[in-house]
Amino acid sequence: MDLITKERDRLLQRTARVYGLSFTVVALLCFVLPGAVSMTALFISLPLFVVVGIAQFRMGISRSPAWLAVALIAGLAIVVVACTVGARPSQAGFTAVVELAAASLAAVGLVLTSSAARIAALIIVFLIVGATLLLLTSDLQAPLRTAGIYVLGWVLPVLIAIWISAGVPQVAKRIASIGRAHRAERQASEIEAQRRQGARLLHDTVLATLTLLAHSGVGVTPDALRQQAGDDAKLLRQLRLGTGPTPSAAGGGAAEGAVGTETSPVPIIEEPVLGTTLESVKQRFGRMGLQVSWHGTGQVLLPSDILDAFLLALAECLENVRRHSGVTEAHVTITEDSKMVRAMVTDSGVGFEITDIDEAKLGFTESVVARLRDVGGNARLFSAPGSGTTVVLEVPRGDATTEGGA
Amino acid sequence: MTFSAPEENTLGVVVGNARRAVGKTARRLGRASAHRASLGTAFLGLGAAILVGLRAVYGVSWFIGLWGRGVYSQPLAALSAWIVLGAVIVGAIVTTRVIGDRLPDWIFGLFLTGLLVAVALDVIAVWDLHDIGRDATAALAAGMTLLIVVTVRGSSELLIAAGVLGVGLAVVIFFDTPPSDQITADWIAPQITAVASAVLPAVIGVAIVESFRRMVQVELDRVLVQSTVSAPRYAVGMLASEELARLDLAAEELLESIASKKTPLPLAPKMASIAASLATELRLHLIEGRRETWLYHAVSESEMLGKAVTLVDKSSLAGLLDPIQRDGLLAAAWLLVGDTITSNASRTVTVQVGPVAPGETPVPEHKILIPITITTTGVARNRVDPSIWDALGRVGHYSDHTQDSSLRVDIECLVDNPADV
Repeated sequence: MDLITKERDRLLQRTARVYGLSFTVVALLCFVLPGAVSMTALFISLPLFVVVGIAQFRMGISRSPAWLAVALIAGLAIVVVACTVGARPSQAGFTAVVELAAASLAAVGLVLTSSAARIAALIIVFLIVGATLLLLTSDLQAPLRTAGIYVLGWVLPVLIAIWISAGVPQVAKRIASIGRAHRAERQASEIEAQRRQGARLLHDTVLATLTLLAHSGVGVTPDALRQQAGDDAKLLRQLRLGTGPTPSAAGGGAAEGAVGTETSPVPIIEEPVLGTTLESVKQRFGRMGLQVSWHGTGQVLLPSDILDAFLLALAECLENVRRHSGVTEAHVTITEDSKMVRAMVTDSGVGFEITDIDEAKLGFTESVVARLRDVGGNARLFSAPGSGTTVVLEVPRGDATTEGGA
Repeated sequence: MTFSAPEENTLGVVVGNARRAVGKTARRLGRASAHRASLGTAFLGLGAAILVGLRAVYGVSWFIGLWGRGVYSQPLAALSAWIVLGAVIVGAIVTTRVIGDRLPDWIFGLFLTGLLVAVALDVIAVWDLHDIGRDATAALAAGMTLLIVVTVRGSSELLIAAGVLGVGLAVVIFFDTPPSDQITADWIAPQITAVASAVLPAVIGVAIVESFRRMVQVELDRVLVQSTVSAPRYAVGMLASEELARLDLAAEELLESIASKKTPLPLAPKMASIAASLATELRLHLIEGRRETWLYHAVSESEMLGKAVTLVDKSSLAGLLDPIQRDGLLAAAWLLVGDTITSNASRTVTVQVGPVAPGETPVPEHKILIPITITTTGVARNRVDPSIWDALGRVGHYSDHTQDSSLRVDIECLVDNPADV
């Protein structure tokens, strides 16, 4: 299951293809010179050259030994035909035969070094081709010289293959270390993103302020808006500067891979300014001109991720009231039972047609419903034109969540 | 702190925001690829240098033999050809070892000029013999010398250099023919092999280095994507945090400049619209970032998988797979598209994860069964790499069929039920 070994084999196969085909072409060029071999031998050999070429081309794609065998047998047949059919080959014919046997066919050496069986096959074909060449051409050139060229021709591709194979583990090692660095980088990036995304309350208030600014701050006094902007900028700055040491206790969930919306990793930033109570939400809206009256439980104890989503959804609803209802007062009733915590946000404003919600309040499903569902909660919306709006938000108390909260 | 508008607006890519991040990654990798392509080629370069050295020794021994027989009409030209070539070889080997990464253009020019001089001198030395194919020594060794720089210069440059050398030799041989009665097949054959021996080493060397670089690239791609195996159930992917940090900073600067009265209230329409787009982007990054799984990131970040693999995972179920199952699934996808670059580009792989059909098959407690279907086009059942079955076995119980003459695999993947964790 070592993929780089496969890649290495592919590399050697491609090399063998280029190597073999190049020398086959050279051998063929010498072979077809007039007078190189007898006409009969030429006509018998030409199709064989085609076969050798095809087989060597296939060697570049397929690891199957069949193509090696085809190339070798066809090549060997050319050697035999050239030397035995008709007149003896001239020096040009001899050159072609040597090119074929000692260079073109030797390309199989590139792909026959990867296992013991292949090396054994390599030795056998080396001996067979060599013996055939030497026996049939002993009168054309001193056999010792032919043997020298032949051995050199076969040793070269084998050495190339061994050299490449030796280089692959080195490069694999370096690639693996790059991979490790990349994994660390990915984890760090992930944790950092989680840290920022985890700061949901912070982003919620920032988003609310930005939205206000997007409407040029209409309906809010410049001073209040400036103060809000200053507070938010301070929060963002804290978030930014706190980048370095992420407390490992808080980030532990990410390292284990069990991540939903886990414990907010930036409690230090959020606690003192926003608090984890509903009071901070109330204050913020008070500053922007929406009086929020609380009924029922004032303090909610929830796992922080659920609390985050809950407060966020609540703030989003209040923001909607502030912007769209046309009234300056909203009521929030918090109730809890053994399983769920519910908040009912009501206003006596203009209301709207529920069926228009897709176009009118795109943000609602995205920011309210999606985040509540994230933690196993839900939101329901009741409204009609002229009779106000009621939103019921509910979240589980923590133990029954489907994810997060280890 | 004054607010300056963000240099980039991400609004145009609301849906494909991961794709953009991927584009960024690709660009970043692209910048580095010049460096990364050289990964491991130094070792190949060393081998090439050794080969060139051996070839030079062989050429010199021929030269000495010819010199001893006194065949040269211009022996000094042949000698100086070898001196120039020797200097070029030594100089090039030393320079490439020292520089290591990429040879500057002017050194490469100097190198080529040196080779040209050596070839010219050697041709002058044997011109009167009318048999360049048999008698030239340094001119033929010069072709192989190109191998020294095969790892530090572009492939096309070397192929052009080798081609020019080959054509040049052929032209010289053509103009230096002996009296016509001596032009026979036996004279032509050595000329052909001589030109081939000058050109082919560079061609084969380029082919090897190119394949090697491609191998490194593929392996790198695979290893980088492999890191998603240990990613959390939902991940934001590389660069998402960078993006978020950028938006946070932009928001911070805007708010700061308002708080410090540098930006007057009420906001000018342009500033207001910037605030609006910032809010929208931030919202999208906060909400949607978490919706993608490791598999999505793996497919979109990988150059190879991205081209061929389509992922259908509506409920983000892939995130539930444990690291071993993920590794198996990734390896299987990898093996299926493995040959895409080399053989046929028509291969496509579609991985469909889910939907979960509860109650159909009995499953152990605290587990749920996720059906994964891999459909392919252009992948013949008998052409698949056998190790894919082992990889699929790690994902879960699988069965394979042939659909539209291409492989289709159904996997029953058992994972921990997230409700019980």
